Amino acid sequence: MVSDPRAPAHPLTEAQAGLWYAQRLDPANPLFNTGQSIAFTGPLDRDAFAAALAQAVDEADALALRLVDDPAGPYQVVDPANRPVLDIIDLSGEDDPHAAAQAAIARDMATPVDPTRDRLAAERLFVLGPQHHIWQQRIHHLAIDGYGMILITQRVAELYTARLRVRMPGAPAPGIAAAFTEDAAYRASDRRAKDGAYWRALFADRPEVASLATGSLAAGSLATGSLAAAPSLAHGFHRRAVEIDAEAFARLRARAERISIPWPDIVTALSAAYVQRHTQTPEVIVGVPFMARLGSAAARVPAMLMNVLPLRVAVPSGVPLDDFLHAVAGSLVRARRHGRYRSEQLRRDLKRVGGQRRLHGPLINLLPFDETPRFEGLTSRLEVLSTGPVEDITFTFRLHGTDGLRLEVDANPALYPPAVVEAHALRLKHFIEATSAADRLDDVPTATPAEAERHLVTLNATAHPVPDTTLAALIERTMAAMPTAPALRFAGMTLDYAGLEARSRALAETLAAIGGVGDSLIAVALPRSFELVIALVAILRAGAAYLPLDLAQPDARLSRILTSARPRLVLARTEDAGRFEGKVEVLAPEHWPHAPLGLDLPQPEPGDAAYVIYTSGSTGEPKGVVIEHRAIVNRLEWMREHYGFGPQDRILQKTPATFDVSVWEFFLPLLTGACLVIAPPEAHRDPLALARILREETITTAHFVPSMLAAFLAEPSAQGLVLARVFCSGEELPADLRDRFHRTLKAGLHNLYGPTEAAVDVSFWPAGPEDRANPVPIGFPVWNTRLYVLDAAGRPQPPDVPGHLFLGGVQLARGYLGRPDLTAERFRPDPFRPGERVYATGDLALWRADGAVVFLGRSDHQIKIRGLRVELGEVEAAFMASGLVRQAGIVAREDRGTKRIVAYLVREPGQRTAQGTAQGTAQATGQATAIEPGIEPAMDIAALKADLASRLPDYMVPAAFVVLDALPVTANGKLDRAALPAPDFAGTGSRAPETPTERRLAALFAAQLAIDGPIAAEDDFFALGGDSLHAVALLLKVREQWGHDPGLGALFARPTVEGFARLIEAEGDVDAGLGPLVTLAQGEPDRPPLFVIHPAGGLSWCYGRLARALSPRRTVHGLQAPALAAGVATPGSLEALARDYVARIRRLQPRGPYHLLGWSVGGILAQAMAVQLREDAAEVGIVALLDSYPCDVWRGEPDPGEDGALKALLAIAGHDPDRLPALALNRAAVLAFLRATTSPLGRLPEAALDGVVRVVAGNNALVRGHFHRRYDGVLTHFRAALDHQGRDLSPDLWAPYAARIDVIDVPSLHAHLTGPEATARVAPVLARALAQADSREKVACATAV
Amino acid sequence: MAIAPADIRRIITPAAPITRERMRADIARMLHEDPEAIGGEDSLMDLGLDSMRAMNLVLAWSEGGLELEFAEFAETPTLDGWWALIRTRQAARGV
Repeated sequence: MVSDPRAPAHPLTEAQAGLWYAQRLDPANPLFNTGQSIAFTGPLDRDAFAAALAQAVDEADALALRLVDDPAGPYQVVDPANRPVLDIIDLSGEDDPHAAAQAAIARDMATPVDPTRDRLAAERLFVLGPQHHIWQQRIHHLAIDGYGMILITQRVAELYTARLRVRMPGAPAPGIAAAFTEDAAYRASDRRAKDGAYWRALFADRPEVASLATGSLAAGSLATGSLAAAPSLAHGFHRRAVEIDAEAFARLRARAERISIPWPDIVTALSAAYVQRHTQTPEVIVGVPFMARLGSAAARVPAMLMNVLPLRVAVPSGVPLDDFLHAVAGSLVRARRHGRYRSEQLRRDLKRVGGQRRLHGPLINLLPFDETPRFEGLTSRLEVLSTGPVEDITFTFRLHGTDGLRLEVDANPALYPPAVVEAHALRLKHFIEATSAADRLDDVPTATPAEAERHLVTLNATAHPVPDTTLAALIERTMAAMPTAPALRFAGMTLDYAGLEARSRALAETLAAIGGVGDSLIAVALPRSFELVIALVAILRAGAAYLPLDLAQPDARLSRILTSARPRLVLARTEDAGRFEGKVEVLAPEHWPHAPLGLDLPQPEPGDAAYVIYTSGSTGEPKGVVIEHRAIVNRLEWMREHYGFGPQDRILQKTPATFDVSVWEFFLPLLTGACLVIAPPEAHRDPLALARILREETITTAHFVPSMLAAFLAEPSAQGLVLARVFCSGEELPADLRDRFHRTLKAGLHNLYGPTEAAVDVSFWPAGPEDRANPVPIGFPVWNTRLYVLDAAGRPQPPDVPGHLFLGGVQLARGYLGRPDLTAERFRPDPFRPGERVYATGDLALWRADGAVVFLGRSDHQIKIRGLRVELGEVEAAFMASGLVRQAGIVAREDRGTKRIVAYLVREPGQRTAQGTAQGTAQATGQATAIEPGIEPAMDIAALKADLASRLPDYMVPAAFVVLDALPVTANGKLDRAALPAPDFAGTGSRAPETPTERRLAALFAAQLAIDGPIAAEDDFFALGGDSLHAVALLLKVREQWGHDPGLGALFARPTVEGFARLIEAEGDVDAGLGPLVTLAQGEPDRPPLFVIHPAGGLSWCYGRLARALSPRRTVHGLQAPALAAGVATPGSLEALARDYVARIRRLQPRGPYHLLGWSVGGILAQAMAVQLREDAAEVGIVALLDSYPCDVWRGEPDPGEDGALKALLAIAGHDPDRLPALALNRAAVLAFLRATTSPLGRLPEAALDGVVRVVAGNNALVRGHFHRRYDGVLTHFRAALDHQGRDLSPDLWAPYAARIDVIDVPSLHAHLTGPEATARVAPVLARALAQADSREKVACATAV
Repeated sequence: MAIAPADIRRIITPAAPITRERMRADIARMLHEDPEAIGGEDSLMDLGLDSMRAMNLVLAWSEGGLELEFAEFAETPTLDGWWALIRTRQAARGV
């Protein structure tokens, strides 16, 4: 194409500029093509059409534009060579001409256009037959907008009709120069400055933009999509069109007439209200296309002038519909008055550039005229193919005919699946139709009638027959049916059902005699034991309800519960009786009768209370939830049948009785005849202990709170466990945890949901290995249960729209004990089932299109810490009750995946002490400023913590305390959570960690708690934000790094870096680390341990890496030279030393097989020990030598003396002494060298290092004096294949002293055999050899028997 | 066959010619103003008229069969400018 070089260059208009950059960013996107097709029926005069089109194209300069990308900025010229020429395509010979045309049109529309090279427009006429034609126009958005397209189309129609009628058409529109001039004038005008100021002021408060896409759902936020994720421009869109009911449209127009608001503005307002129903924000911001032509000299010019105005629409409830419409219409008038100010410019002004910071959500586009052109003698049908890129979702309303209104929903496929687009089309249609006859928006449902019916009725059709009986009766039936089956297991003991029957009946008789049946309460405060279960069953059989109490709770809270519940008696141990003195009578297990007297027991009724469980209350007062037999029987019978529980099951009971998950753990086994396996007290938070009990007791079913499940899966010994089912509840189950679960264990995984107020669980979701749902739903209702997701006005929500979760059905609690006020607040009449009740959970949820319900978070300030409910109000009340603070703002913060309670405090004016008392637990951060010069405000945090601990359970005590001068508040006086400074969890200690243990431990603290800042030696793990789950994870890491951990209790006792590091060292490296026996790794107890024998230096830490690398995990004990301790003499012979070692390992493990391994001298010792063990008729497993050679080799060589000992010391530390020629071989120099390295040897106290040098020297002598005896077994020899150049050292040298030698070559130097590379080679071979030896032993035993 | 009154849904009567006063009244109603407040040369945009209202007026005035183009009205948004357009079109139709 040759263009006229003299054509004037025009800068891009403001309207074009935005599109230009969008197009340059995404040049392959064909959606910058706008287009339409018009199907003509009738006798088209092709010549007249061609002539009319040619003239119209000639008049429209926009179609001749050519864009030039110049370094100085893009510009455009009107290039006549760029004008489109009508392309006539004859498809009349095709089988299906219509389909062929559609395909050709679709191909053309999908072809991206380069505006610097290609023609911007195309005009094509498809001939389908004599009476059928399709005219397709495609014009790049840079050249045209929707109204411009109409102008061109109408002009072609006018010219065509004029030709046929032989009359003069109207005057042509002005050239595009008019638009350019207008644009330049506006850019330079005061008007533009005023318009800009208007918009900037309107958006000065930086409103949040929300949309309808559910893809970016943030849990805990009611906002549907806060557009957190940038909606990228898709290269296509989903479209669904529906017709608005004609009568409804007529009613809307009548209303428009009555209130003098144009009906299109009414439809815009209603569509915005519809959007608001989904975002549920107080206001929404929608985009409203603005043609920018009124009053413009370019009004008739086909060009790209259109702007999109951001319209803020507040949707208040309770106001008349007409008031709302007037308000929106007013906003629209004002917006249009300033409508020429470009929205792209406004985005730049507001610094909202970038996909995620948009100006508006959905687009609402009203075309209040029939666009169909009138061609003389022809029927035309218009189809708009594309109006440009669809960023999010666009609702277009087109008038057709005189009173037809069509709604087209176009949506970005990246954000909206086709089914959702379809749902929005139908739902918005229903919404507008329903609104046409309404006086208030509040009366209009959001869900369509079909959606509401499915939600309220179909999905909740859970009616299922359940026997109307009691827990007591069902348990008695099982006990009678299978007396000899095991009922309970605890600490290796079994109680059968007959035993349970007898003991629970005996206690029940006593309890019944004390009096009170039907709803009287008996408290239980027992640790996990047979007695705990006997107590619960006995209470139920006595016709009373049980009240579990947690003795770990402070006295104050226990007292409040006892005062509120007034139990008749508490079943507790004698040693705990003091906790109840003067409050309630105690009956301790030693006073329980064991044999029943045969008295009649009172029979409870299905409507009697079965148990009362206290939960956190927002006012500071715990609330007692009363659950009746009928409710819990429904829950348990559902679970029994749904999951097919039977007598073969072994169900783990590990949940504390005060947490209602324990209810099914206790009673489901007793209903099904299964075995209830009671975990030891405290085991529920010890992953290692749990893994052991799951394996040893062949548990089929266990429950985990998800956060504990995460800790459990990290435990190496949990790998590969097989169970029938694992249930999760109490917290959200993250999808990645589900996936990790299935990679780690082999078990069914089930996600359950329910509050204490509805008998444990009300919904279920199978989260099996094939489940890909993210988030993992809480699923479907259980038997005789209803789940409603309602909006704030109580209307049922459509699918995928967040709302408040309500529960109905037989499982609802009776209410809160003694609190009819709280009961009435939460338990309300069922709006859809007269006479029934619903429980307002306070949870936010949505139901998916498939009917599964998804939990989204809380609507209030209740949170879950490790599955336990915490009302922040209760925590706040405790602060206020302390009298130590003036104000307290308690929030739950989630920082990098860790949820913690943080207290923001304003001190009482009189409360001030020296800052030092904060002890690193408080920081005067952020707004905290000194009130008096030189005196920092401070608070006695330690005293405050102590006070709180006396009022709250430990999990409710905040992890951080931040002292402020005042709590920040929002405009309406509420706590401004967003303005609260992040607590600085980095500690306040001043001494940097020094020893390697401290440094490594500090790094572990930081990693566990996601802390960036430096951690000091004095910093406290819990004050830094750690909780017991963090502690469990920390211990796991400590065990990985040091081979042992001092335990959870030790961490609680010594929670600082220095304190805990000292404990680690005390057990391992320094004190015990020099002892004759160290445990290098802890593994499964049923796997025989491996004993590793020290090399020349006498220490066996060098085997730590190898010990930890063994898979499956195996306990590894290291033998160390007793002579390391000062004053202990080296034995007279190597044989004597081996004798000593054999005695030691046999004391530790009386029976074989004994697996032995030794490096260097350790190998010689291992062989000697194996010989002695055989003499003692003990089983020897494997005997592995790491590059050891018989003593005969060394005997002839001179004793290396102290130099040799020092060289050996360096070798033990991992250095090649021959490569350190500059190092003087004296004790001081070697010691200094080692201290400067990371070697643990360098951390040894002087005396210990002396011990090592002494032992090296002693061992040299022992080796030279040793004569091997033959071991009648296999030696497994790992040869350092890279070493011993020029020396005649071969494993064959062992041939006289063993039955066989298996040699494994390791490409390593002798000195590096326990390094990482060599270990990677040695460990798998060793593990295999150990496993083989183990199985050989088992077979041997079996044969012997 | 006779048409029963109940069968009659809509009676279409020939549209009365549009007068300048009717236009002034229609515009005033859209703006929630008195007709007197609207002068012939006043910019209707300055009086608060927006494109949707203008389009609605043009559509209402074309209901009787006049072929009116919004774009022409958009070029001259005053009562007098619009009256000139309507008068020309009505004259062309012989009204």
